[in-house]
Amino acid sequence: MYQFDYQAPDSLEAALAALRENDEAKIVAGGMTLLPTMKLRLARPEALIDINRIGSLAGVTEKNRAIVIGAMTRHADVAASKLVRDRIPGLADLAETIGDPQVRNRGTIGGSVANNDPAADYPAGLVGLGATVVTDRREIAADDFFTDMFETALEADEIITAVHFPIPKRAAYMKFPNPASRYAIVGVMVAETHDGIRVAVTGAAPCVFRVTAMEDALKKDFTPDAIAPIAVDGAEFNEDIHASAEYRAHLVNVMARRAVAAVG
Amino acid sequence: MDIQGEYHIAASPTEVWQRLIDPDVLSACIPGCESMTRASEDAYDCAVMAKYGPVKAKFKTTLTLSNINAPVSYTLSGRGQGGAAGFGEGVADVMLEETSDGTALRYTARFNAGGRIAQVGSRLIVATTRKFADKFFAAFSSGFDVAADDATA
Repeated sequence: MYQFDYQAPDSLEAALAALRENDEAKIVAGGMTLLPTMKLRLARPEALIDINRIGSLAGVTEKNRAIVIGAMTRHADVAASKLVRDRIPGLADLAETIGDPQVRNRGTIGGSVANNDPAADYPAGLVGLGATVVTDRREIAADDFFTDMFETALEADEIITAVHFPIPKRAAYMKFPNPASRYAIVGVMVAETHDGIRVAVTGAAPCVFRVTAMEDALKKDFTPDAIAPIAVDGAEFNEDIHASAEYRAHLVNVMARRAVAAVG
Repeated sequence: MDIQGEYHIAASPTEVWQRLIDPDVLSACIPGCESMTRASEDAYDCAVMAKYGPVKAKFKTTLTLSNINAPVSYTLSGRGQGGAAGFGEGVADVMLEETSDGTALRYTARFNAGGRIAQVGSRLIVATTRKFADKFFAAFSSGFDVAADDATA
């Protein structure tokens, strides 16, 4: 064992103050990535600031034609939310496919988004739906939030408080999961929002990205056939024992077509 | 799964080579390198702070220069021990070729891991290696801005 400080403040202000006090402190939300990393000693933060007791950070509400999901809302609660199911069924479906029951009942939307794992589902959900990340100090459009693999626009001492999802006209998420971890080998969110059509891909590349060629094609003809000929360049895609870069590039098109078909 | 890259440097292959074997240059270009000491003729002990997403850990790494064919090519390898978590080993074959306006530096890199690091991180290895190699060679290439100016002065 190694020693670290543990604090569980009950207000956002106290959490921010604790975070500013120690450069080597880490926020723990669901801990689904951080705790396994610490067990391997691949991270040794001097202090953990547990934000699970800040009640105001969890919950789902509707506000100004948007669904607002608190940062500490568990994936299982998003999946089970009647409001999410009714207004953005594609997002409820996405939450339902994350990880396993343990991960869905501990992991949080804020934690997933802040971690920006290249194979996490929520980044595609946020970018695909044109969501906005709300922090203690500002609002960041999803398009600007996810900057690179495991990197986001967040400052070192900034905490996500909620995610705003404008209610789309229609949306669907399709993924090809790793059969063991359920991480997305490729996941695609297709949405017709009030600002236009969005196609966002996770799992394939180091960071979530949009396929504008597909968005343009769907604008003219919202059918799976319209995007069938559109190939994505997989030169910089992820590779592992489960899927080559070429295979992932192929899956992007397949999952996008399935999502378009599911949107209907 | 090899990762390849190419950089064009406005300096002669001999000048590029001098820097490729200079430990001070190497330590400045290795992302997260905190210290570097000579262990033997072509090997160096380094402390490297790896920061990728949730991972933030210091690795003792041995950097080795081998297959030396001055001033054309060599192999740069680094093996890091992560204690109980396992090990990681990165290898880059580097080749220099003279061009009309300088030198083309080409590399082929790969990374192997063992132990728990490999179990939990295998899906991230290619992307992480690409990022690491890009950072290293971009830093190395950008170090020539001054040298190039000197050459034309």
